[in-house]
Amino acid sequence: MNSHRGTPRTRPGRALTLVLLGLALAVTAGTVACQSQPADDFGAPAVTTPASSPPPPTAAAAAVAIQDGAPPKSTAADVPARLRIPALDLDATVDAVGIDAATGEFAVPPSVDRVGWYRYGPGFSAKAGSIVVAGHVDSAAEGKGAFFRLGSLEAGDSVTLTGPGGKERVFEVIARERYRKTAIPLDKYFARDGTARLTLITCGGPFDPKTRHYRDNVVITAAARG
Amino acid sequence: MRILPFRRAAAFGAVTLLALGGLGAMATSPAYAKANSQVTVVHGIPGQAVDVYVNGEKTVPNFQPGKVAGPLSLPAGEYDIALTKPGDAIGSALLKVDNAEVPGDANISLVAHLNAEGEPALTPFVNDTAKLAAGKTRLIVRHAAAAPAVDIRAGGEPVFEGVTNGKEGKADLDAGTVSADVVLAGTDTRVLGPADLDLKEGTATIVYAVGSAEDETLDLVTQSITGLHSAPGGVPSGDGGRADGNGNGNLPLYGAGAVGILLALFGLARLVTGRR
Repeated sequence: MNSHRGTPRTRPGRALTLVLLGLALAVTAGTVACQSQPADDFGAPAVTTPASSPPPPTAAAAAVAIQDGAPPKSTAADVPARLRIPALDLDATVDAVGIDAATGEFAVPPSVDRVGWYRYGPGFSAKAGSIVVAGHVDSAAEGKGAFFRLGSLEAGDSVTLTGPGGKERVFEVIARERYRKTAIPLDKYFARDGTARLTLITCGGPFDPKTRHYRDNVVITAAARG
Repeated sequence: MRILPFRRAAAFGAVTLLALGGLGAMATSPAYAKANSQVTVVHGIPGQAVDVYVNGEKTVPNFQPGKVAGPLSLPAGEYDIALTKPGDAIGSALLKVDNAEVPGDANISLVAHLNAEGEPALTPFVNDTAKLAAGKTRLIVRHAAAAPAVDIRAGGEPVFEGVTNGKEGKADLDAGTVSADVVLAGTDTRVLGPADLDLKEGTATIVYAVGSAEDETLDLVTQSITGLHSAPGGVPSGDGGRADGNGNGNLPLYGAGAVGILLALFGLARLVTGRR
């Protein structure tokens, strides 16, 4: 009888331990999972002039602008050389790149430790518009890319661009956004007007192993400091 | 009796016409609803500075040959345009065009030049300002010289052939520098160039051949229209899949959570059955 009575007494104790242990495990796992969720978007790129708006009308007929009709000369190169992001421990060579003729897309340098500056858009010392630098998050051939952890940048992180002759220009992260590639407002990020800013682009989101493409683009906008 | 259906048809037709006319008028919309046109004035008559008058008002004073003025923002309508020697009265204009039609919402170049016979002329060209694909540039070449038909070559290859006075050739090309020259049509006899043209991405470069072959005053005048760029089609920047975990790699955690919940449920079950 005693042993029969004893068993039910100890049983609730073990069961209770199980319940508590299980709950603790569930709560801990849940909390950690939530904390490591993909970082939320923050900020909005500062664009004072919408990309599509026409330039403000000049002071009417008072003085008509006169230009020389000489053939256009090639202007001095305004090419960034390096990109440094201390928060990511990143210091990458910048290549001047354009468009992949076959696809009409941004010709991101194939080498994953290099990043590409869009040479048709604003350059290193631009007073207006978006200086665009894109880099690989990774590649099948070479592994992790220079922008592998781009999506973990936070507001206020600094990004330094080195220009011709070693001149430096410091930018401060003001926005991080993730868009499906089908919905990303690229016109905004490639605008050549509005306040001077640095736009960093890479891939992100879920990966489709069949098409070998990421679903999203991760975009960091950094405002020129000073 | 046979007339009646005809009349009916006529009446119906008239009503339809009126309705359509009304619709048409609405569709083409009155001038004030349209955006202003951008009008650029190009001076391609050698050796003669001018004052440009628009509707009797001096708009570009002492305008030198080879220069490009504007753009002026003009509402759609008709304009009287006159060129005088600098300081001369509008009555003694060198060149005068009355009621020149400016459509709404267009980009126009008004070119003072010599026609094929060497007479001064004022020719309007409508500029193609359609957006360019990323990486592209637009080259427009216009014959505005007292000269016979010409071929325009880029890198030695004819790109526009048999262009005559008042006509243009146009192409969207990859942005970059091209070496261009102008030869008599169908020959290698060079009349202009070669000139290196830096054709900028997202820009329309309009090159005018001006002057007179006979007087040996042939020259080039260029005008640029910027802001025709488009964004690239996309930014493909990863094909490895390693970064998938950057946002979604919580499966082990979810697993641990599930095990925890199961344990707790199992414990609860034991508690309940134990009490019975």
